[in-house]
Amino acid sequence: MMYEHFDNIVKGITEKLNHDPDGINARKKYVLAISKLGKKLYSRDENIAWCGVTAPFDLLSAMGVTSCFVEFVGAMLSSTDTAGFFLEKAEDAGFATDSCAYHRAVMGAVLENAMPEPDFIIGTSSPCTAGLAIVENFAHQYKKDFFILNVPQNYTKDAVKYLATQLEEMTRFVSDHTKRPLSKQRLSFALENFNTSTSLLKEIYDLARTKPSPVDNKFLKDFGTVVALLMGTKQGIDICRAFKDELARRIKKGLHHASKEKIRLMWIQNRIQYPFPINEMLDDLGAKIVVDELNNVTWEPMDPDNPFESIAKRMISIPFSMGTAERIRQMQNLAKAYRIDGAINPCHWGCRQGTGARGLISKGLKDINVPVLNLEIDCVDSRNLAKGQIETRVEAFIEMLS
Amino acid sequence: MNKKIGFTCAYTPVPLIEAAGFSPFRVFPESKAPDLSGNLLHDNLCPHVKKVLDRAIAGDLPDLEGMVFINSCDSMRRLSDAWHEARPDDKIIFLDLPSGINSLSLDFLSKEYKRLTETLFKWNNKTCSSKEMTARVNNRIDTWNLLAALVKKSSGKMSKAYTKGHASLIQEIINTAATKSVDKALLMAQNKIDPQGDARQGAAPVFLFGNLLFDPKVYDLFEEWNINVTGNDFCTSSRFITPVDKNACDNIFKSIAASYLNNTSCARTMDTSKPGSIAMNIVQQAKETNAKGVIGFTLKFCDPYLARIPMIRKALQKESIPFLMLEGDCTMGCMGQQQTRIEAFAEMLEV
Ligand code: SF4
Ligand code: SF4
Repeated sequence: MMYEHFDNIVKGITEKLNHDPDGINARKKYVLAISKLGKKLYSRDENIAWCGVTAPFDLLSAMGVTSCFVEFVGAMLSSTDTAGFFLEKAEDAGFATDSCAYHRAVMGAVLENAMPEPDFIIGTSSPCTAGLAIVENFAHQYKKDFFILNVPQNYTKDAVKYLATQLEEMTRFVSDHTKRPLSKQRLSFALENFNTSTSLLKEIYDLARTKPSPVDNKFLKDFGTVVALLMGTKQGIDICRAFKDELARRIKKGLHHASKEKIRLMWIQNRIQYPFPINEMLDDLGAKIVVDELNNVTWEPMDPDNPFESIAKRMISIPFSMGTAERIRQMQNLAKAYRIDGAINPCHWGCRQGTGARGLISKGLKDINVPVLNLEIDCVDSRNLAKGQIETRVEAFIEMLS
Repeated sequence: MNKKIGFTCAYTPVPLIEAAGFSPFRVFPESKAPDLSGNLLHDNLCPHVKKVLDRAIAGDLPDLEGMVFINSCDSMRRLSDAWHEARPDDKIIFLDLPSGINSLSLDFLSKEYKRLTETLFKWNNKTCSSKEMTARVNNRIDTWNLLAALVKKSSGKMSKAYTKGHASLIQEIINTAATKSVDKALLMAQNKIDPQGDARQGAAPVFLFGNLLFDPKVYDLFEEWNINVTGNDFCTSSRFITPVDKNACDNIFKSIAASYLNNTSCARTMDTSKPGSIAMNIVQQAKETNAKGVIGFTLKFCDPYLARIPMIRKALQKESIPFLMLEGDCTMGCMGQQQTRIEAFAEMLEV
């Protein structure tokens, strides 16, 4: 099912691309690249690893492993409106309805054999303990070898060294399974690619900051989280470049919908994955999401001479790896840099990690005079969606900001 | 009287707190403090974290010199974040606890435990050589190990002949070590760890596991409901009293780390070479204690435990061991609501 889904997208966009190479926007190119990755995962021609969100995908791809975080599948199922079936399967098997639906949906897919069997599994303790618990379930279910990267929360020398050593150990674990040693040269290329993509990301985010912003409500939706799967590859660079160029073009041509930017917003954590017209609704209200919390570069450039330490520092620098105070500090910086008027926190039900900090986040943003709208939404499971109530609250919030 | 150090997680080695001259105070989620934690965090967190935070907000705590938090799960991380906000003047130390068990984790955790010890000594203005510090730690570990051995020995008897009040008495002793002092708990254990009386007949032998079940009175309820507790595995019981093998490694902090990591692991710490081993451990403990059934009690919203329940259920099913799963908060009231189900389970075990 998922293979066909990705295949159809690839076919559709490729056809359009062949027809009119310039008629394809950056977002479509990105969807194409991600769908190609999805196809690869589901065709099982290469070594496959299911991973935690913060796994080093650049390092894994340098080792010839097609890898992806499991929550990606949860999001895909939701976006295609098929999550409900898998959520029910997981719940029937005893997975708690109060758990994160990204995990419940993908677990349902595992139980229904709708997931490609991996060669091995790499769990990460960041962003969440829930994610780690789910990949342990994967390993148990598939009877596959399991490696955990413990990402310490305290950013200390010892912590970096600990994670760097684990990363080295992980490469041995991977080599044992693929029967291919790590090529230092390939890793260097991957890190250089990563650095090039990072520079482009910074440019993208700089351009998005412009007032009025050249983005629209969907343009950079969940971009930072998902593009991590491509960073380290040439394709990743191409995608980032396409986004940068498109934003620059929009600014040059004045295609930035200034009229629709009475209110500039920040979206906290992940977006809603299933079809729900919140973006259109914000458009109608003259509000624009100019920044997503997770569209941010928090790391220093990778040092190819010191690869493991660089990757370790990057993994710890991600907002969800450290304490909430650091997360709030990063959000405050974004709020100021993007000159936002307010923020929306969907408070994804079941997320102790991100949503758990709801009150502290509201307070942290209030301290810099940024009001926050806290919704109660499950971003993946639409079965109990109180659509009308959410619309009313969003409307009232935007009105209040106006 | 010693000043107190608060803590919340069973991976906090109490001997380190006592070695620095403090008394331990495990902050249990037991309070009449108003429900305010949702304002600082969110209501979808486990009742353990929420109630402890309610206590912090309401000041329903004894004088604490500082708090020790462990990175045991996302909710606990959020609790430590919120503590800064609720009690900004408190001294706080946050330790990283690895999720996997291997030599690297062991080395890292030993450094974390050393950092904890040094910090506690500093908080108590104790300047001493590292040799002296180690000697004090060793000394407190000796007492702790005596207590652990007594608790283990006495708990072992429950699986052979269950005596009324036995489980609640052991819990009381454990709670004394967690909230007062290990010396006091040891004295209690030496004087009365094995309750007097005849073995109870006719009740269903059941093994209990989960995260938190700390109120000794809960065990009296189980007895009333015709259950003999053959053994248990909670963060507030056997997993808290972790004996330290002082000779496990070449330095004391490594030995402590090895002992804590290799103790029966809880749901958030796992042996990566055996994914799902928590399920096997529970089956094994149920069998070893001659239980005819297993009751799991897990707090609502506890991701680490709830995500492992399906595999635990499957493993027990495979061995034909009946299983009852309860979910709720830590209150006696919540247990009371489960009475019918527990009694029906005991009946079903047909003793
Ligand atoms: S939404 Fe929260 S619980 Fe779910 S995967 Fe993301 S961080 Fe983990
Ligand atoms: S009960 Fe569960 S969720 Fe709560 S603090 Fe303990 S491990 Fe974390």
